[in-house]
Amino acid sequence: MTQLFVERFPDQARLVRLAFFNSFAAFGIGALFGLIQALHRTDVLRIVESPTYYTVLTAHGVFLVITFTIFFLVGLYQWAVTTSLERRPVDMRITKAWYWLMSIGTVIAGITILAGFLDDPPEVLGSQLSADVLFTFYAPLQGNPLFYVGLVLFVVGTWLAGVDWFRTWWAWKGDNPGARIPLPTFMVLTTMIMWYISSIGVAVAILAFILPWSLGLIDSLNPTLTRTLFWYFGHPVVYFWLLPAYLLWYIVLPKLSGGRLFSDPLARVVFILFILLSTPVGIHHQYLDPGIAEGFKYIVMTNTMFLLLPSLLTAFTVVASMEHGARQRGGEGYFGWLDALPWRNPAFTGMALAGLVFAFGGFTGIVNAGMNINYLVHNSAWVPGHIHTQVGTAVALTFMAGSYWLIPQLTGNRLVWRQAALVQVLLWFIGIVFMTNSMYRAGLVGVPRRTAEPQYAFEYDVGVGSMTELDFQLALGGFLLFISAMLFLAIIFMTWRNSESEPIVDGTIPPALSGPEDSPRVLDNLRLWIAIALVLVAIAYVIPLASIVTRGGLFGPDIGPFPVFTDPMILLEYGSKLIGMVVI
Amino acid sequence: MAKSQVTRKITHDEFDPVGTLALIVLYFIVLMLMWVFTYFVEFVGNDPTPFVVA
Amino acid sequence: MRISFAKLLLLIAFFIVILVEARTVFAFFGIDVSLIGIAVTGVLVISALVLWAIRPGNDEPTEP
Ligand code: HEM
Ligand SMILES: [Cu+2]
Repeated sequence: MTQLFVERFPDQARLVRLAFFNSFAAFGIGALFGLIQALHRTDVLRIVESPTYYTVLTAHGVFLVITFTIFFLVGLYQWAVTTSLERRPVDMRITKAWYWLMSIGTVIAGITILAGFLDDPPEVLGSQLSADVLFTFYAPLQGNPLFYVGLVLFVVGTWLAGVDWFRTWWAWKGDNPGARIPLPTFMVLTTMIMWYISSIGVAVAILAFILPWSLGLIDSLNPTLTRTLFWYFGHPVVYFWLLPAYLLWYIVLPKLSGGRLFSDPLARVVFILFILLSTPVGIHHQYLDPGIAEGFKYIVMTNTMFLLLPSLLTAFTVVASMEHGARQRGGEGYFGWLDALPWRNPAFTGMALAGLVFAFGGFTGIVNAGMNINYLVHNSAWVPGHIHTQVGTAVALTFMAGSYWLIPQLTGNRLVWRQAALVQVLLWFIGIVFMTNSMYRAGLVGVPRRTAEPQYAFEYDVGVGSMTELDFQLALGGFLLFISAMLFLAIIFMTWRNSESEPIVDGTIPPALSGPEDSPRVLDNLRLWIAIALVLVAIAYVIPLASIVTRGGLFGPDIGPFPVFTDPMILLEYGSKLIGMVVI
Repeated sequence: MAKSQVTRKITHDEFDPVGTLALIVLYFIVLMLMWVFTYFVEFVGNDPTPFVVA
Repeated sequence: MRISFAKLLLLIAFFIVILVEARTVFAFFGIDVSLIGIAVTGVLVISALVLWAIRPGNDEPTEP
């Protein structure tokens, strides 16, 4: 058994632990808000007023899909680069700088969101301290400038983290001329290339338009433009959540199964496909946006369908690696080998179930991606159904399962309560099926997402059962998920404190069956892939962006902010105007 | 858990992932059924937008 | 035990999931199963599974 990570790189282990701490803290708060939403929407228990629901929902979205996922990513990637290159960062000050930038950004954005709970939020920078704009912050919804400042600091932090990892790799390359990039580092570098290319979109949207607008420096913006820039970033960001989970599936899962990764070259191809294809598809989130020609949407749909390729390649490679493990452990037959897998190990079972949910959630993604059927499910509860099977389970459950394997190596402590950990991952699995099954079905009959009052005033024609039943199922699922989340946090916390113990993990990763020597060297030519990716981005975006700007102007047709803070007078005014319109 | 219970080593050439094939075939069958389901939801389950003449 | 405790838990989880989804599938074919119906089926099926699992197997010794 090799030395533990914490023994080889104590300072790096500390940093990874800090990043995971932020990640899990956000996860806990986010899960609590998820439960509040699930109970509120279904009218089981309402502890906030309905207008405050949007504060909860914004916090749920931001804390879970920005803070939880991305802090886990930076922690995991720091671990991956350090172990696979066997070296520390070139300059630890940079490492600390990105960690603190990201943390400070999170705190600023988080306080701004949570201030929305106050009855009378203080005035800061010329507007109320609150940001009930949901994690997509679509204009004309406007939040306090500090919210956007926080996001910017956070993203700049991630950029710096990428620089840090690239520098470690360059230093390693100097010492190892001609060597192939170790696979985990390859995954880190390709993810970051994708991230650099895509986060320019959100940076421009915020820095050039939304932030100045929220500060009152410009009076108006073009919502179609900022939305398009957001989704230019918004699709790749889903891979930013997913690729760390892929890293765990490719690197750790085969080992946990008792086997070896089936093919290193195939893994490299998959990550390169993500660099190339993840950005020129963003408009598939805007199928229903007016002001973008159908033709562009059609092109984007085609690109999106190509994106299935890396996911199917992954399904094959990862399952084949698991099968290899099972057969080495004595498994036989077409399906009998499944029995030989180490189901007792929560880290394994969690990742395997996450993969299973991902495979079926993937189908709902194809539905979303089809231009015509998207119209059926757009903005309905179907979409959070999809979100929770993908990032909410494929990613989140993989992260939790991965933590059961990683935390002992990062702390030098033995994992506590292994049986409870197994129950935890199974509970998540059951909870997610209850909750998403209900969301999908509700979505198909037209129940909207993002609302505290999904019932409005009419009855849905629920094909099967009743609305009450769907509601019950959603509330039950949400409750199980919440319990599972709390159990996870308790297990991690107790493991953290369990310092009087010796861990029983083996951190060694066996080499792939088909190693890097079997793959063409061009796969490691990162410059080439960046160049092709930029060309594809230009092809997909230059003309649509140009047409959006020519149509609506860079700063839009005079779009003022919609007052999202809940000033009763203004709401009343809007309400009466709306009623007036309906009556006329 | 008993550590690695690996009972035999299988090399790249000896490994024939038929189980993976079996699972993937199963998965594709399920996907196809789900598409059939979607067809009904989309085209048969929903009437066109009501025809309104002003 | 015929199967390990871990596998029993896993199977229970799968049964619950299949029961939830089966109801939707049945309804699609016009067979409406009531909530009580599926709950009772669930309890029966899972108890049967547990009973089967905790009975000692034919050939294996009493190993946890
Ligand atoms: C404790 C478990 C969870 C529960 C009970 C829960 C519940 C919910 C509910 C009911 C909604 C729909 C709100 C609405 O549309 O009105 C929602 C939305 C959402 N959830 Fe969760 N969730 C949980 C965990 C997660 C996790 C782990 C993630 C991601 C890592 C996640 C990401 C999201 C996102 C991105 C949305 C959409 C937010 C928006 O529309 O702006 N959730 N959640
Ligand atoms: Cu997308």
